Amino acid sequence: MNLAETAKDILKNHKAEFIIGYSKGRDGRTKPFIAKDEKGAEKLVFDHFSVNNLAVYLTRMEKPKGGKIGIVAKGCDVRAVNALIQENQIKRDEVFIIGVNCSGVVNDIDGEWNKENTQIKCKYCQLRTPNIYDILVGELEDFELPEDGQQLLMTKIENMNAEERFEFWQNEFDKCIKCYACRQVCPLCYCEQCIVEKSMPQWIETSASARGNFAWNLIRAFHLAGRCIGCHECERACPMDLPITLLTRKMGMLAGKEFGYRHGMDPSQETLIGSYNIKDNEDFIR
Amino acid sequence: MEHYKISFEDLRKLVGELLKCKYNVVSQSADGKKFIKINSESELNLNPANKPTDISMKEYFLPKSESLFFYKRNKDEIELIDVNINENKTVIIGAKPCDAAAVPVLSKVFNWDYKDEFFNSRVDKTIIIGTACRYKDSFCFCSSVGLSPDSEKGSDIFLVPLKDNFYLMKIITEKGKIFTEEFSWLSMEKTDERPEKASPEFDDSKFEYINVKTWLDENFSNDFWDGAGELCLGCAQCAYACPTCHCFDIVDESCGYSCGRRVKNWDSCQFGLFTKHASGHNPRDGQSKRYRQRISHKFKYYKDRFDEILCTGCGRCSRGCPVSINILEILQDIEECNKQ
Repeated sequence: MNLAETAKDILKNHKAEFIIGYSKGRDGRTKPFIAKDEKGAEKLVFDHFSVNNLAVYLTRMEKPKGGKIGIVAKGCDVRAVNALIQENQIKRDEVFIIGVNCSGVVNDIDGEWNKENTQIKCKYCQLRTPNIYDILVGELEDFELPEDGQQLLMTKIENMNAEERFEFWQNEFDKCIKCYACRQVCPLCYCEQCIVEKSMPQWIETSASARGNFAWNLIRAFHLAGRCIGCHECERACPMDLPITLLTRKMGMLAGKEFGYRHGMDPSQETLIGSYNIKDNEDFIR
Repeated sequence: MEHYKISFEDLRKLVGELLKCKYNVVSQSADGKKFIKINSESELNLNPANKPTDISMKEYFLPKSESLFFYKRNKDEIELIDVNINENKTVIIGAKPCDAAAVPVLSKVFNWDYKDEFFNSRVDKTIIIGTACRYKDSFCFCSSVGLSPDSEKGSDIFLVPLKDNFYLMKIITEKGKIFTEEFSWLSMEKTDERPEKASPEFDDSKFEYINVKTWLDENFSNDFWDGAGELCLGCAQCAYACPTCHCFDIVDESCGYSCGRRVKNWDSCQFGLFTKHASGHNPRDGQSKRYRQRISHKFKYYKDRFDEILCTGCGRCSRGCPVSINILEILQDIEECNKQ
């Protein structure tokens, strides 16, 4: 069965009360869409332009009483669903996951699908088929991998001294306009009150100036340490093109290297931050 | 109104001369994503077919973060230090009709009660050289909000492309006239040549504004809003990219005990915190209510109060929305509701 037929069946048999998925807008864009009935289900699509991580809506929507939320999820999105389960934000039996085989998504949603216009995360993706789902749809197809330009930049930054690194980030953070699109699209940024909204005292300056921008971007990165599941939605949403996934990706790599941990891979696993093991590596702590 | 003919090369020379005379010169960046201060004439990016920048040029009138005054604390005394807003004169070259038109629209609110000297002094010191637009995508709708690809609103000088890399240069305002006289060496000839207007392809209306306004007048409470705001995640990309959104927040920031500043920062009605009371109560307690505010302020309240639409149809909010909410589709849906 294709996605639309699957979705119709799910709604008809109340396996989920509504389905968060993608549909084509009148402007030609593939965009988030909520199918509430069978007619809506017919509009559901999945293609290379289905960029959004829809798991972000799971913590922002009212849960249907006595029913489940259906969600169309690629591998990277399923990691977010798993992470939310691990972090006790949702329960596994509150969601019906329609896993989709994903053969890469675009960077520029108004461009053509090709090698140059493929997200970096697709280069090192290990979950083209989601690892957790209630039903799986779609076929995998081969696609040409993009250059991992981010890895090159990361190596370059690693070879910089402290002053050069500071300058690099200062130049980048200077562009930040504090629209908080990075926070709002992040499925793991679900705090009811974000630390930047705490004004008594004001921990983080709200100004989009050097100090306030540094504080915000670093706090955001730290709060996602070992928690980021690498959907790169923050960077895609950023209107100023800040390379912020450099930070979250690097921290994810460190969590892997130092603790053998990848967040959102197994919904029953304890989180890295929320668990303690006497054998944990600690020689890197200075 | 005087009309001259000027070559692109001479416009470049003008930029070089302005830079020598310590003007700030602002043009679209090479990647076309924003308006930047350029440092050489070769950086001038002026092409009617350019897409609107991702972020509007409003930061040159309303910076994302602007100091209002500084303070120093000496024992028991507090000393206030004024901010010097005497910046260099600025020339913005290559503003699209949907960029330039925002300035007179914003001037209304910044001069309605309190006269905002920060905004006004920047406007006074800025010459806007607008350019006719020959770009079109499924997010543009200037022709539906009273503008057009050839609209001169907000420009001091307006350029329309002629053949062979020449432009028709129209002097629109007194300020523009004085400015061109300052650079009388420019090889501009008076001309009777008139360019073609933008073809209907660029200048078609997508909805009738009056239908939207009529519906908004009657439908503050309507289920429509639940659907319209349902997928909005509540970031401020739309408001911060917008040429006309102008909400700000004023906060004090200290640099320790002895000094600090009062600062005005961009803010957005799409944030929950925007309307949250000290008591904890929030009258706009859901994203749908916040989205309704965005649409109503632009297409109803501002019209009622200042007789202007708080939107120039540039489409930036739609192009950049992380979840692809297209304001044009919302407005067309509202028009559809009004017909029923």
